[in-house]
Amino acid sequence: MTSIRTYTIIFGALMAVSTTQAALEFVGLLEAQYWIAFALIIGLSVVKAVTVAGWYMHMREEPRAITYLALAGLLGVVALTAGAGYSVL
Amino acid sequence: MTEDVHTNGGTDSHETGGHDDGGHLPPKSSVKRWLVTTNHKDVGILYMITALFFLVFGGILAFMIRMQLWQSGPFILTDLGYNQIVTAHGLLMVFWFLSPFAFGLANYLVPLQIGADDLAFPRLNAMSYWLYLFSGLLLAISFFQGSSLPTGWTLYAPLNLPAFIPPVAELGSLSAIIALALFIASVTIGSVNFITTMYRMRAEGLRMRDIPLFSISILLTVWMMLFAFAALLAALMLLSFDHIFAGEVGTGYFGSEEGGSLLWTHLFWFFGHPEVYIVFFPALGVMAEVVQTFSGRRLVGRKWFIIAMALVAIQSFIVWMHHMFLTAINLPIKTVIMVTTIGISLPFDLMVFALIYTMIKGQVRWKTPFLFVLGSIVLFIIGGITGVFLGAIVLDYSFRGTYWVVAHFHYTMASGAVALVGGIYYWYPKITGKMYNEFLGKVHFVAAFVGFNLLYFPMFVVWDTPRRWFHYNGTVAPEIPFTNITLFETGFTIWHQMATVGAFVFGFSFLIMFYNLFVSLYSDRVVDESPWAYTGSAEWAVSSPPPEGNFPGTPSFATGKLSFLSRAETDGGTETAATDGGVAQATEAHEQHVDHTSWWPLAMSLTALILGLGISGLETSYFIWPFLFAIPAFVAFIGIFGARSDGYTHLHGAFMGASMPLLALFALVFHLHHGIPGGLAEANQYFWISLIGITSGLGTLVAMGYESFNVPTPTMSEQWPFEGVSNTKLGMWVFLGSDIILFGAFIGSYIFMRIRAGWTNWHHIAELNGLEHHPVWPGLLNTYLLLASSFTVVLALAYAKRGSKRGTVGALSVTFIGATLFLANKGIEWVDLYIRQGWQFDSGPAASTFYLTTGLHAAHVVVGMLIMLFLIARAYTGAYWSEGENGHTIEYFGLYWHFVDIVWLFLFPLFYILF
Repeated sequence: MTSIRTYTIIFGALMAVSTTQAALEFVGLLEAQYWIAFALIIGLSVVKAVTVAGWYMHMREEPRAITYLALAGLLGVVALTAGAGYSVL
Repeated sequence: MTEDVHTNGGTDSHETGGHDDGGHLPPKSSVKRWLVTTNHKDVGILYMITALFFLVFGGILAFMIRMQLWQSGPFILTDLGYNQIVTAHGLLMVFWFLSPFAFGLANYLVPLQIGADDLAFPRLNAMSYWLYLFSGLLLAISFFQGSSLPTGWTLYAPLNLPAFIPPVAELGSLSAIIALALFIASVTIGSVNFITTMYRMRAEGLRMRDIPLFSISILLTVWMMLFAFAALLAALMLLSFDHIFAGEVGTGYFGSEEGGSLLWTHLFWFFGHPEVYIVFFPALGVMAEVVQTFSGRRLVGRKWFIIAMALVAIQSFIVWMHHMFLTAINLPIKTVIMVTTIGISLPFDLMVFALIYTMIKGQVRWKTPFLFVLGSIVLFIIGGITGVFLGAIVLDYSFRGTYWVVAHFHYTMASGAVALVGGIYYWYPKITGKMYNEFLGKVHFVAAFVGFNLLYFPMFVVWDTPRRWFHYNGTVAPEIPFTNITLFETGFTIWHQMATVGAFVFGFSFLIMFYNLFVSLYSDRVVDESPWAYTGSAEWAVSSPPPEGNFPGTPSFATGKLSFLSRAETDGGTETAATDGGVAQATEAHEQHVDHTSWWPLAMSLTALILGLGISGLETSYFIWPFLFAIPAFVAFIGIFGARSDGYTHLHGAFMGASMPLLALFALVFHLHHGIPGGLAEANQYFWISLIGITSGLGTLVAMGYESFNVPTPTMSEQWPFEGVSNTKLGMWVFLGSDIILFGAFIGSYIFMRIRAGWTNWHHIAELNGLEHHPVWPGLLNTYLLLASSFTVVLALAYAKRGSKRGTVGALSVTFIGATLFLANKGIEWVDLYIRQGWQFDSGPAASTFYLTTGLHAAHVVVGMLIMLFLIARAYTGAYWSEGENGHTIEYFGLYWHFVDIVWLFLFPLFYILF
């Protein structure tokens, strides 16, 4: 069981990363380098999601099979989105 | 004896009595038993009988189709009538007969085969059944609303949109769509239940790889169901949105010019192709069991058979576009999909060879179940080979939309049904304790096999008849595909007439079965454990029918073969009690077995039917109101049921009291919008039906939450690979797995349409459609709020583990406030966008995807808030934080809440920063 202190630090980090994501737009990176900004912003969302799943949902402490279960769902989404998206490129 | 009972729905409620309030099961002769039962064997029988009812329903529709095609011109049906009947026939057979029949068998057999007393969540199992039944009845009701859905079972866009549906069919079409959505709710609950059961409740010593093949086929089926049906649910939700909010062509999702109709085919077939295997896998499991029994030996290559099935289950999610070769998808993706499609036929070859080789190596006994299974294999081989034709792009260009497809899929789907019929005969003695009449069984087989081929084979001959046409050209002579060679100079009509005769023979053969099964029930051909000379699975080791508790002792495979340990030795075995949402009680372990009863699954499913019917005719301007008016009722219900269950406290009084001003507030807003009483007087009857449905639905939800219901989890069970994860927690994770697909399909639809429109062109399109300004900061503020609410939920859990009432109730309350602020902020944002800027639901693809995806998320937030109210009320009276509870329920709720948070973490960049 993670301590309240750790939960608080994670909360602070999540808030900071969210602010950073919005800041990337405010400083004009999207206009200047759209795809770099895109990768950064989505990448930061992935980091946040993994953090919430790992610590707040305690995925780190569960058997690995729980992670695989979630990844299976995610893989399905990726297959659908990538397949459908590529089909109209 | 261990009495470590934790309460996934609330506190121990010792004061309400020693045994569960639901009471014992009434006898089988009592109607009440079948309405309140949660026992897996009873639910299995209910599933099978209901599925046979829908088989007859769908079969009668098939007769009408075949009668219509008796001649080439107009005959017994109107054009719209034919379209409705073709659609309903397909939907009923695929959704309401095939899978549920297999699930009837699975309900009955899987716990027996794996050595479990029941499924992990018996009450949810009953709810799966009732939702299934009522969803089917809603489809039946749709015929009486003017006309049912006339689109074909694939519901292709744009024909599935109001603009292309005759006005008379508008209500019935939406009812049918909602009926499908309810069916998916049933399927998802069932999948969660089976997955949890099979991973966590196997008898001691029973490894995953050793569970009987029928159960393995069901396990793979439910995994596919979990993911595939979530994609269809997403498609149906988007389609309902198009029906309710976006009537005009060119708006909404599937009428959109940005690949709307193509999007439907992607979503539908991402579900639809796995669905083929979802329907067929249980039949494959039956085939394996029956071939083993009647060949008198273990399946040859059993391990490879299982690997092949698993491969197919995975591959089934990457072949869906072979149903779309004639759409606008590009050639490279078609080629990739052709390869994956040919690839998926290979594991099937292995499975068929394993079955055949088992027969060759064994000593075949030609009993009725075996005949049906052998017949089914023959038919499936024909269906499989003709399907490979359709997997080749060039051939598919010619075959698509013809009777070749109709013949092919009936040879595969209906061959699955033939195998399931073999399963009926195989397990009939186990379920009833009586032997069927062997001679009549064989007569049934001959009639069915002849009728089947007479029905479907002529369709290959007249393959170039256009599919789904109510009139065909009867004078054209059928040709060999890709040649100008005519085999027969007869014209189409005679072949269709042959098929019609075949349909009646095939249909009639089932009357023989019904007669046989019914009469045998009253015969004196009593069977003991097993009527078969060779069996390998645990259900044959107990009496027929099996005893109420399934086994004479605790089953164990620890020694390498099945044995029963005395209950006295193992009864200490209730380590934890999963309550699927209800209040657990500490009871004597030997009392905690299988005779729980509950009215609420039936009641709640009935309210779902009422609500579904109501929504089908709910006017757009009234849409939100039944849901809003139900919220005060929900709050009051918590106060009332909470006071009854946990004793009256001030908080219960506050809940009851708060419901009135809340209702007054909503009434005031309604008055400003529509006027009271004028607005109420003008509301159509569907408004009132919806209001009754949602209000009583939330009432039953609260009642179920407070109901005392307790299921023991045995300690002596194999739980790989989920050791240490409680049943309820695993159930929640599995549910979240399907929710990932649901949200993923919504987000995927957005990405698809945005790619189609030109990714960076999106904002410009939105501006063309009326958007003036879409700032980032409301999204950022909501990100802060949701992250904060996630933080307070983990705090609530931490406080509950420390035994702090104040901390638990306080942190949950702050979470609720955070969620309220989130919704308030969203409301302000939507008012600005929707009303001030005039950027509405149907203002183009950017608007539709924005409102619907973030709206689905908001709906999840609202559901979470309703659950939170319940949790706060329970925590206030001692639940979750008191001794021995350890906050489990808060942890399970937290999983849901954090998941909703994670989804937002992606919606925020996609719909705000990168918009």
